[in-house]
Amino acid sequence: MWRYEKRLQYPVNIQQTNPKLAQYIISQYGGPDGESAAAMRYLSQRYAMPYKKGKAILTDIGTEELGHWEIIASIVHQLTRNLTPQQIEESGFGPYYIDHTVGIWPQSAGGVPFNACEFQSKGDPITDLFENLAAEQKARSTYDNILRMVKDHEVCDPIRFLREREIVHFQRFGEALRDVQDHLDSRNFYAFNPAFDPQAKA
Amino acid sequence: MCENENLLLKKVYETGFALDEITLYLDTHPTDPQAMEYYRYAQRANQEAVAAYEQSYGPLMSSQVNAGSWSWANNPWPWEGGM
Repeated sequence: MWRYEKRLQYPVNIQQTNPKLAQYIISQYGGPDGESAAAMRYLSQRYAMPYKKGKAILTDIGTEELGHWEIIASIVHQLTRNLTPQQIEESGFGPYYIDHTVGIWPQSAGGVPFNACEFQSKGDPITDLFENLAAEQKARSTYDNILRMVKDHEVCDPIRFLREREIVHFQRFGEALRDVQDHLDSRNFYAFNPAFDPQAKA
Repeated sequence: MCENENLLLKKVYETGFALDEITLYLDTHPTDPQAMEYYRYAQRANQEAVAAYEQSYGPLMSSQVNAGSWSWANNPWPWEGGM
């Protein structure tokens, strides 16, 4: 279960609205390498993870991703406060506004709705952890792309925090992968799937 | 948000982050004694920071609402800024 702590993991205080930027950043709310996919990916993969370290790290990083999802929503919300119809039209925010006003909805920067096909839960610990390592790098690249477009320090600051977390999570998943491999036969890590094949259950 | 509230909340953020970070490290290094010592330090610092904030500015978790009146929804929510 989860309980809510009434604060963000990292503070967001944006005074200057910027609907164009909001449309870029919302990709990390519902896009292909976004925080919703991250949380669902790790929290779904846990059930097929046979080892202690892996179960703990998937649970705790998955939980942190929910917090990142909230940070992204807060950034988008604050970037779209008190908009005038003129600002909406000039910034290109119009299509989003027509469908959602300034409510928060999970989509990519290009308007593609969030879809569970953006992540995988394969039921194989090695496969899943490699998926996670790639996911952390893809999110890091997305934050790098966002940072090239942002001039406002109030927006850069939490985005930089999120970018750094991708790098830490990549490190932790790498350690979890090594732990999985340490449980397997080093002559052939793929001899069996420890989450499925009965001979693997020690 | 007044300066004192900002200061107390900053402490909650800092100690909360220290706890998040050491938790992930311990997940993959559960037998590192130095990390465990840091965890105890961060845990205590976070408990103190949360208690100090809640005493003056209301609950950060709904389980911490003081009996008497329902103060959970009184303060601004995190996405509203100032948190």
